[in-house]
Amino acid sequence: MNEFCSCGSGLRAVRCCALDPEALPGEAAVALLDPQGTEATRLFNDKKYAQAEALAQTVLDAAPNNRLALRVLYELRKAQKRGTAAEVLGARLARLPGPAPIRAQANGQFVQYLVAQGRHGEALPFAAAAVKAAPKDANAHHIMAVTLTETNDLLAGERHYRHALQLLGQEDGLVLANLAWNLKLQGRMEEAAALYQRALAGRADNRRAVGGAAQVEFARGNRANALKILDDALASWGDDRSLRLLRAMGDLYTGAPAAALERLGEPEQLLAPELLLRAQAFERLGHYADALEQASMARRVQRERGGLAFDPGPLEDRLARYKAYFIGERTLPLPRAGGAPVQPVFLLGFARAGTGLLEQMLAQLPGVVAGDEAYPVAALASEVARFTGSEAGYPEGLDELLVGDGALIPDQLRALYLTSRARRGLLAGQPGFVTDRAADNIWHLGLIKLLFPEAPIIHVVRHPYDLMISNFVQDRKLEAGAQVGLPALARYFELWSEMLRHYRAQLTLRYLPVRYEEMVADPRGQLARVAAFIGAAGELPSAAVLRANDARLPDPQPAHAALREPVHERGVGRYKAYRAAASDLFDDIRDRLAPWLAEQGYEEGDDV
Amino acid sequence: MSETAAPPPAAKPPLPPGTQVMPLSEALEKLARLEQDGKLAEADDLARRMLAAMPEHPHILHLAGIVSYRLGRLDEAIERMETAQEIAPNVALYPRNMCEVYRGAGRLEEAVKAGRRAVELAPQDSRALFNLALIHYERLELEESVQAAEAAIALDPDYPEAHFEKAEALLLAGRLKEGWESYEWRFKLKQAEGMLPKTDKPQWDGTPLPPGRLLVIGDQGFGDCIQFGRLIPWVASVCPRPVLACSGDLVPILRQLPGIGKIVTRWEDTGEFDAYIPLSGLPRLYGLTTENIPPAGYLAPPEALVRAWGEKLDRLTPRGKKRIGLVWAGRPTHKNDKKRTLKLAQFAPLFARDDVVVLTVQKGDQIAQVGGYYGRAPLVNLGPEISDFIDTMAILKNIDRLVTIDTSVAHVAGAIGAPASLVLPKAPDWRWLLGREDSPWYPSLKLYRQTTAYEWAGVIERVVAEL
Repeated sequence: MNEFCSCGSGLRAVRCCALDPEALPGEAAVALLDPQGTEATRLFNDKKYAQAEALAQTVLDAAPNNRLALRVLYELRKAQKRGTAAEVLGARLARLPGPAPIRAQANGQFVQYLVAQGRHGEALPFAAAAVKAAPKDANAHHIMAVTLTETNDLLAGERHYRHALQLLGQEDGLVLANLAWNLKLQGRMEEAAALYQRALAGRADNRRAVGGAAQVEFARGNRANALKILDDALASWGDDRSLRLLRAMGDLYTGAPAAALERLGEPEQLLAPELLLRAQAFERLGHYADALEQASMARRVQRERGGLAFDPGPLEDRLARYKAYFIGERTLPLPRAGGAPVQPVFLLGFARAGTGLLEQMLAQLPGVVAGDEAYPVAALASEVARFTGSEAGYPEGLDELLVGDGALIPDQLRALYLTSRARRGLLAGQPGFVTDRAADNIWHLGLIKLLFPEAPIIHVVRHPYDLMISNFVQDRKLEAGAQVGLPALARYFELWSEMLRHYRAQLTLRYLPVRYEEMVADPRGQLARVAAFIGAAGELPSAAVLRANDARLPDPQPAHAALREPVHERGVGRYKAYRAAASDLFDDIRDRLAPWLAEQGYEEGDDV
Repeated sequence: MSETAAPPPAAKPPLPPGTQVMPLSEALEKLARLEQDGKLAEADDLARRMLAAMPEHPHILHLAGIVSYRLGRLDEAIERMETAQEIAPNVALYPRNMCEVYRGAGRLEEAVKAGRRAVELAPQDSRALFNLALIHYERLELEESVQAAEAAIALDPDYPEAHFEKAEALLLAGRLKEGWESYEWRFKLKQAEGMLPKTDKPQWDGTPLPPGRLLVIGDQGFGDCIQFGRLIPWVASVCPRPVLACSGDLVPILRQLPGIGKIVTRWEDTGEFDAYIPLSGLPRLYGLTTENIPPAGYLAPPEALVRAWGEKLDRLTPRGKKRIGLVWAGRPTHKNDKKRTLKLAQFAPLFARDDVVVLTVQKGDQIAQVGGYYGRAPLVNLGPEISDFIDTMAILKNIDRLVTIDTSVAHVAGAIGAPASLVLPKAPDWRWLLGREDSPWYPSLKLYRQTTAYEWAGVIERVVAEL
């Protein structure tokens, strides 16, 4: 009864995490302790922290729902960096009943606490509570927009940003810049550029906005302008590492890797993204041993300082569940959606396989729109429970499709997918095809089969060793933290490939493998093959145009187009150069990958 | 396959310290029992320990070889058994079993030598003669196969396997009328148990019966039923409205045949009948030869379904390419599956073609191989959307050609007149006869035979070259 709560709040467990909500004192009883709560607040403001803490704890022992005391203890634990306790107290504070403005404030503050840690998904319900409590509060809408944008619900995020601006009734540099970032993520580069101009006109010292504006310029192809923005900013804020990193990326992608290395400086004090950029710069210079050293150092920093660890458990569970559910006999009777006015083309590939390049080439065909990762099918998988009303979860809840009006659900889900893509402006020109290269589509080919039974699935295959090394060196976030090292990458590749192998065996898929190596060797030949497979009519661009890869960018623009470059073959068999620099590089993953190399028709190959 | 014979005398080896002593005869008996009971891991362990103690004991070597064979370690099996035979060259059991092991390894020359040696050592051993008949069949030495089977039957007249082997050799040689007589022994084979109803009614003799009083039984595999199903209209002309008992999978197609009274899938539903006849017994009663086979084209998918699959294939496959259907594996429990089944990857020459799209109509566990396909030709795995043979028929009506092994889908293609290339082992099932590229049963099929036993490479290339 008297032991302290394990969360570290300093309260007794029965007054904290083991609290019985039914036993809480009523509003009037709590109010009796408000003078003490006010006193604790005063002590806190007077920086008499020990006394403030003691008084707050005493009050909360009597009334765990006393807002004033709870706020004091929350602020103290936050300042003490006692994360678990701060989170428990913050969440409790946010959920306390009370006047709407106060609830809005409590929720807003807790959202900011979570957002500061990059925990946008967890922040969503609290941001929503803030908006509900204060629907006319611009700040509540702003923070809602931030969380939605960062959880990739871009359209909803845009709506809340615009609502916040409307409520403010004036230009606000911060909100404008954040809205511009949202539009940049949507690929609406022209609008984003214009908004950044407005944002910086109102608030020129917003360094993040400057960085965002530079990235938008880069993505629009105005690379010199982007570099100038960054150079000007660095002249004022020379110590800004984010801006310096962006500038070094500019060096790298404009063919000056040595300048990038010089700009970033010596590795000892660098963060992981900086180290990884150095690794890429060394790679461009052909210094593979140095590149490996930098990348290894970056991954070590991520492990040791950032706590990055590979956790394949959830993916293994998912693989097992999906394999058990999506078997031919069980899937065949499930109802399918009817024909769609536009045909999605799913571009599948392990990270760094080259689906971006394929999408860039396909977008040059008449009637084909690059959909990139807009509204992935994974979002529909999480809608299945809502549509079916099943508590069985996904995918087991799909059994409900067999019953009554459940047969209508595939059409409804398909409509949701298409509507979401239409709202992103992807279907404005009434295209015949829209590509979808969402990374997690690999897990959802079962659902894709139900919603788009005859959609083409183009799998970009690449030598597994090249995939491993490319993901190891690039700063890219993968599922389960797989980027942490080569063994993790190899296991992730194995899970990914097992999932695909299962679906291909158990479902009738309109599937075509395309080799990255052949795609970069003969872009036109491979594009022709894919176009014929999906049934896209119209003339193909010339080989020279495809190889130059500088056609007018589509609007909206896929994210990967920002860094597009002429089609090159230097990534083919690059692993050999790395292995020549470190002969034992693949020793830990060779056995795991060997069967996949054999299956996909690759050989280990000799060093170069 | 093993049989325990009295072991030849062997020198007593010294016992390692701490070893538990078990009399040799007892250990050999135990090893044989474990192998016969299918406890192969235990048998393997015991064999290894016995060999460590007595590495040159021929009977241990022989039994250990059999265990290796059953565990799929062919090279080891042969090495052990050959050593046993070298040490004890006059034990008839050794070459008798080796004949089978060599056959399993595709080493037919050595197999026939071993078979002959076994007969030489034990001329009164009907099993040795039966094994020799089997290996002669594999080598397409059909006259010798018949003679060996007859010799086995002479020693043991009630030897169903020998009669059946004789039937198969006669049928493959095209001597159908003689073959059908021996073929009647098939229901005495061990694996035939349960194929016929428990009844005191006689087998039909071909004479007329009142309507609905004949029970026709879809025995054997799906392919046999489809093949012999063509005789049902003739049956119905003699015994109107016969009752047909068959597997549920066959109902959708066999119900297309005219004259059937009703179709049942459970013995309890047959109702009263005066006589029964398995489908595979009809050729004998009909007096079927290669000259009077009722024509193919006796099955056809519904037009609406053909249209629906046509539209679906138009959506699933790229235009302008030849649609090639493919079946590469049979039912693994089939006695000759090892001979007829390929790996998907063995069709590589087909997959390298730019002008084809491959449509697999494979069903069963082997469909999993599609998951590892990375060939150049697009491949659409239709198996998961095929509900029954009617779907298969409708698909076959919408493709340019089927490439298949000897399995039920080949019969479906033949029965509906769909063009198909059938790849056959060197010693095929009897129904494909000898040497010819066509089939009197199914004119739309072209047959591609192995020229070397167990060697598919050249065969697939020939098929693909002619697509």
